[in-house]
Amino acid sequence: MKPTFKVLIVDDLELNRHLLQHMLKHDGFDVVLANNGLEALDVYKKEKPDLVLLDVVMPHLDGYETAPMLKELAGEVYLPIIFITALEDQDSLTRCLDVGGDDFLSKPFERVILHAKIKAHARIRDLSQKAFEQKKELDFYRLKTEREHQIVEHIFQRAFEGNYKVPHLLDFHLSPASMFNGDIMLVELGPTGNLYIMMGDFTGHGLAAAVGTLPVSSSFYSMVQKGLSVGDIAIQINDILLKLLPDDMFCAASIIELNNMGKSLSVWTGGTPDMYLIDNQNDQFKTIESQHMALGILESDEFDAASMNYSVSKQEQLIVFTDGLVEIMDENGEMFGYERLTELVKQPHYQEIPNIIDELNYFSGGVEQDDDISILSLRCDEVNSNLDQNQYSYSKLAHSFSLTVDAEAIRSSDPVLEVIDMVTLIKGAKEHRSTLYLLLSEAYNNALEHGLLELSSSIKDSDDGFLDYYMQRDSLLNELTSGHIIIDVNYVPEQTSLYFTVTDSGKGFNVDAKKSELDNEDAHGRGFVLLQEIASSVEYNDIGNQVKVGYQLNEA
Amino acid sequence: MSLKTSTSADGQTVTIEVKGKFDFNFVQDFRSAYSAIEGSIDTIIVDLRETEYMDSSALGMLLNMQKTLAGRVNNIKISNCKPQIKKILQISRFDKKFDID
Repeated sequence: MKPTFKVLIVDDLELNRHLLQHMLKHDGFDVVLANNGLEALDVYKKEKPDLVLLDVVMPHLDGYETAPMLKELAGEVYLPIIFITALEDQDSLTRCLDVGGDDFLSKPFERVILHAKIKAHARIRDLSQKAFEQKKELDFYRLKTEREHQIVEHIFQRAFEGNYKVPHLLDFHLSPASMFNGDIMLVELGPTGNLYIMMGDFTGHGLAAAVGTLPVSSSFYSMVQKGLSVGDIAIQINDILLKLLPDDMFCAASIIELNNMGKSLSVWTGGTPDMYLIDNQNDQFKTIESQHMALGILESDEFDAASMNYSVSKQEQLIVFTDGLVEIMDENGEMFGYERLTELVKQPHYQEIPNIIDELNYFSGGVEQDDDISILSLRCDEVNSNLDQNQYSYSKLAHSFSLTVDAEAIRSSDPVLEVIDMVTLIKGAKEHRSTLYLLLSEAYNNALEHGLLELSSSIKDSDDGFLDYYMQRDSLLNELTSGHIIIDVNYVPEQTSLYFTVTDSGKGFNVDAKKSELDNEDAHGRGFVLLQEIASSVEYNDIGNQVKVGYQLNEA
Repeated sequence: MSLKTSTSADGQTVTIEVKGKFDFNFVQDFRSAYSAIEGSIDTIIVDLRETEYMDSSALGMLLNMQKTLAGRVNNIKISNCKPQIKKILQISRFDKKFDID
């Protein structure tokens, strides 16, 4: 017994209070006193006693009224209330029990019985207290876990937030075995409008398996935005998983790229079930087997990024799924298996995802699934989603700058790309950087090769001339000690046009003669023709050592 | 800036990937990428997905490749071009000589 076990004695008779207090103190209990029910409530709030000895007949709230109030104050922990009573009639005793009394103590008081009763109730209170503490602790952890799950769920939702921009091509069904999915399906468009899909299956299921999907999804999206090939994406994700995952965890995955025209399919697969490429019109059924080990196993130097390429047409359809699908069991523990699935998807009716799922549910007869199940079907047709047709806005400020590149700088640097990098800082120019690069590159290289180095394009006519030409260019460039090229850049906001003026210190050339000698089919005339076609204007000065190329940003 | 060549498992498809700037700096590398091919093969894919810039020297290289391999390869594909690169190829009428997707 804890020395601090505290008993509240409630009795309007001082004699009784005194007697009980004496006995209890003698037995080592703490004692607090109250003269009536009302006072008892006050004392209870201040002293928090562990047990109450309660008289029945008192002024200001009798025992019957006080008991339920005390029980209410005590809350969830058991507060023993022992009625002090001389009453013998059954009705009164029953009423004591009805209002929440736990026991009786009859007058005259007997010390041994009082002690025994208190001890018995103290044990129950002790148990109740422990149970209450444990419940509090459990509640705390439950709330904490719930909160954590909510946070994680939120993050997961964000990470996989729908990029399903091509509903006309893609149909899928994802069914996690628990709240978190260890399967992953990511869909995104690349910069050239190619459609990328990744379907992965982490070892296990639930939260532990789902954790790996986060870094995978973020790196997948960023690599797709760069337009990398499926093999390169596989390399990167493998590296990430190798660093992050414990040795016994990995990710079986398929990474698929359908080009914008819907005509070619690249596939990297590691550790996944077979995929099916189905052509109903020509009654062809191709099984694509996994080529590699799952992601997150092999070191970078052992990793094989080789992908498979298929020419496809719009009557073809690719079906990809995770192993949870073929491992679905019926009530006898028999798996659905590949054979059943291949037979199924050979029938056009079952190439629709919902029909496959219906069939699976029918097979399993309601047996709970052990693993995450994912399946997708991709129709190989034009992706044709509206690539961002943003209305670009253009700078309203006139820009102008000039660079003089001397022989030393010409030898040791590539001014074209540097100038283009500067030019693309002008608002509205960035979207045209490849084209602007081409224009400036043609103008600059003409100035350098023909103006300063005095190379003749006719070298390119001979066998291997192309290579010769650039080898000669290289050696002449190394010997270049004098001369310069001036690059002037002007942006005219009224015309939303950029002008590159490239002037070399060479002798120039006969512009008219040059134009007439050009032949569209010749490899070396191509640069000149390209300039004329892409630029909005091309002007040479009379002596042919300066060209001014214009380009309108808001055209096309 | 780099150039990477890979051959499919059946040896019938060679893929040449050019990253960054496709210009005369690759004259030699590009040439050796296709001159290493022996006998005849089905397809050459020039994958330009990571090509940001190209100029007329790149066009010359592509034409040279086509001349060199004439009769030894069924199909030369130029794949995954960004829109501006595709436009340059179209303006140069390359879509008549190459399979551009």
